[in-house]
Amino acid sequence: MTPTSPRRAAILGGNRIPFARQFGPYANASNQDMFTAALEGLVARHGLGGERLGEVVGGAVIKHSRDFNLTREAVLGSSLAPETTAYDVQQACGTGLENALLVSNKIKLGQIESGIAGGVDTASDAPIMVTEKLRRKLLRINRSKTTVDMAKSALRIRPGDFGIETPANTEPRTGLSMGEHMAITAKKWGITREAQDELAALSHQNLAAAYERGFFDDLMTSYLGLAKDQNLRADSTVEKLAKLKPVFGKGEGATMTAGNSTPLTDGASAVLLGSEEWAAEHNLPVQAWLVDGEVAAVDYVHGDEGLLMAPAYAVPRLLARQGLSLQDFDYYEIHEAFASTVLSTMKAWEDEDFCRDRLGLEKPLGSIDRSKLNVNGSSLAAGHPFAATGGRIVASLAKMLHEKGPGSRGLISICAAGGQGVVAILEGA
Amino acid sequence: MGRQETFSSAPSLAKVFVRAAVAGKKSGSTLPTSELVLAGHAVDRAHLMDYQRLCGFGVDDVLPHTYPHILGFPLQAELMARKAFPLPLVGLVHVENTITVRRTLTADDVLDVAVHAEALREHPKGRQVDLVTEVTVAGESVWSGRSTYLARGRGNPDAERGAEPPAIPTGVAAAQWSLPGDLGRQYAAVSGDVNPIHLHALTAKAMGFPKAIAHGMWTSARVLAALGRSVNGPSTSHVWFKKPVLLPGRVDLVVDRTQSPVVAGLRATRRPETEHLVLTLDTRA
Repeated sequence: MTPTSPRRAAILGGNRIPFARQFGPYANASNQDMFTAALEGLVARHGLGGERLGEVVGGAVIKHSRDFNLTREAVLGSSLAPETTAYDVQQACGTGLENALLVSNKIKLGQIESGIAGGVDTASDAPIMVTEKLRRKLLRINRSKTTVDMAKSALRIRPGDFGIETPANTEPRTGLSMGEHMAITAKKWGITREAQDELAALSHQNLAAAYERGFFDDLMTSYLGLAKDQNLRADSTVEKLAKLKPVFGKGEGATMTAGNSTPLTDGASAVLLGSEEWAAEHNLPVQAWLVDGEVAAVDYVHGDEGLLMAPAYAVPRLLARQGLSLQDFDYYEIHEAFASTVLSTMKAWEDEDFCRDRLGLEKPLGSIDRSKLNVNGSSLAAGHPFAATGGRIVASLAKMLHEKGPGSRGLISICAAGGQGVVAILEGA
Repeated sequence: MGRQETFSSAPSLAKVFVRAAVAGKKSGSTLPTSELVLAGHAVDRAHLMDYQRLCGFGVDDVLPHTYPHILGFPLQAELMARKAFPLPLVGLVHVENTITVRRTLTADDVLDVAVHAEALREHPKGRQVDLVTEVTVAGESVWSGRSTYLARGRGNPDAERGAEPPAIPTGVAAAQWSLPGDLGRQYAAVSGDVNPIHLHALTAKAMGFPKAIAHGMWTSARVLAALGRSVNGPSTSHVWFKKPVLLPGRVDLVVDRTQSPVVAGLRATRRPETEHLVLTLDTRA
């Protein structure tokens, strides 16, 4: 059944700053600096200075506690009217796409006329935490009422309590890093090193070609001297990638390298959405419609499913609701957390047992035409500042669909930490 | 205009101040006609970021309203330290500053910064002079600044005082800032302005101040940063410096947006009758 929605939510444009490698040109830029820059570029390009938008939804996966109102602070630092509301969302790597769904849903319901969805992350300007033991003891000192109490509490601190911690890319419940989780899934699906390196090389080549033809000219503003994604290696080849040593997984069968896994990156993105009427009033051509979205979660804790496999479940649910098949799309944007994530997901959709036993389908979803996959590159080449990836993909895909023409269709699939996955369908306008 | 002297990098302010401190008595009633030029200055992004952070501007590629001032200031000091300059550099009080931004400048703009002195004039409290900074990019005039300095001394009670500042806005504070004791040292590190009155209580005391005082151009930049991004686009600001801000200290920002141009001021939190600065900002360009 296709739910009837009162009106449609249009994607009107997007902007991001080039993504930088960890400790690169954005080493000293904060999440707020970067998100404000991405937002301001979007505002400038679409003439939104002084405008009160329905809302701005942003967020970061790794966030200082002082940045509790990160997105609101970025709005106040931008040229948007200070009366524009804002809030933060955190759904790991799904944040950016989830935010686009939230804004589009409010537009469809008529609660707002316009909004910006985005996200930001820094792997460089990370919050520093003290050890849990030290933190508890420091809090105790902080709440002591007398100097004697304070001195007593201070004496409880032991040399072994000292140490600093930064957020780690590790699942709290399993203690495994994302890469280690992915290595298990990749092995289970028999994803070869060669297939991963091929996908990675193609990502770099596609992204380089997109830059070459000016695809990003109206999707990006340079920042702190960087005009292109720093991670991009236009001359990347399967042969070069084949030389790298595996970093995730163990022993002979290890296939995942730094080349076919996304590097830690810093960056921000933002997408402008609006109702059809609002877009017309502001003379902003509609690029694409945000048709529908779905979020799924899997039980990765007890070994039942791979950490990054949730999109494999979300997509069939979304297809069923929209009455579409996996082959009804002109473009597929499957976020390249790791090359093996994309390959495992596609293999699962082709697999009869998986589709029957896990998805409850009579027949497999089938294959997708690889020539329609990540045609302008994806996270392996561009980098992946967690919460910024959704905005990067939505803005790029909307533009691709607009170029393709009305009625063209695109599918977005983004896996996220915590065993979740956010997927969406866009339609060209 | 007289002779043009071109610098490939800004003169060191520490050396300029030392030179000025040991310079003999100065006198005369004519200004040097030289124009000092910092040619082809490429913005140092790390320096820009330090300045943006310290003054409360967003960290991005846009040059803050006040940024070109700190590029021109070493040239100002160099000119004022010279024997031919009739007023003593040490002891000059920065009383007013106007800035006009003609177009948004970015870190990619290559700047030519030219400084000259003009309008030496009598004042009821001494003598005043204007140091004018003109910034061009490939010949296009993009930014102008005029810094008015007062040399206290025998004044002329009948002399013109110049434009009267507007009244500082009253009412509740738009923001309250705690200024740390080392703010002067932090701004000195970024701006190069190592005037001892800003650096430490001891050096400030030697110069007749009870404590270190904040750089006027930091206070002005901080207030402008608080007025929003539009200050970095085409705009004109005019600031009048009143009582110095003693460090450490707490100050209130007061803003009146009902007036055009906008009026903003800084007053002491504990003693609101102590007014530190008042400025007008016109962004209607």
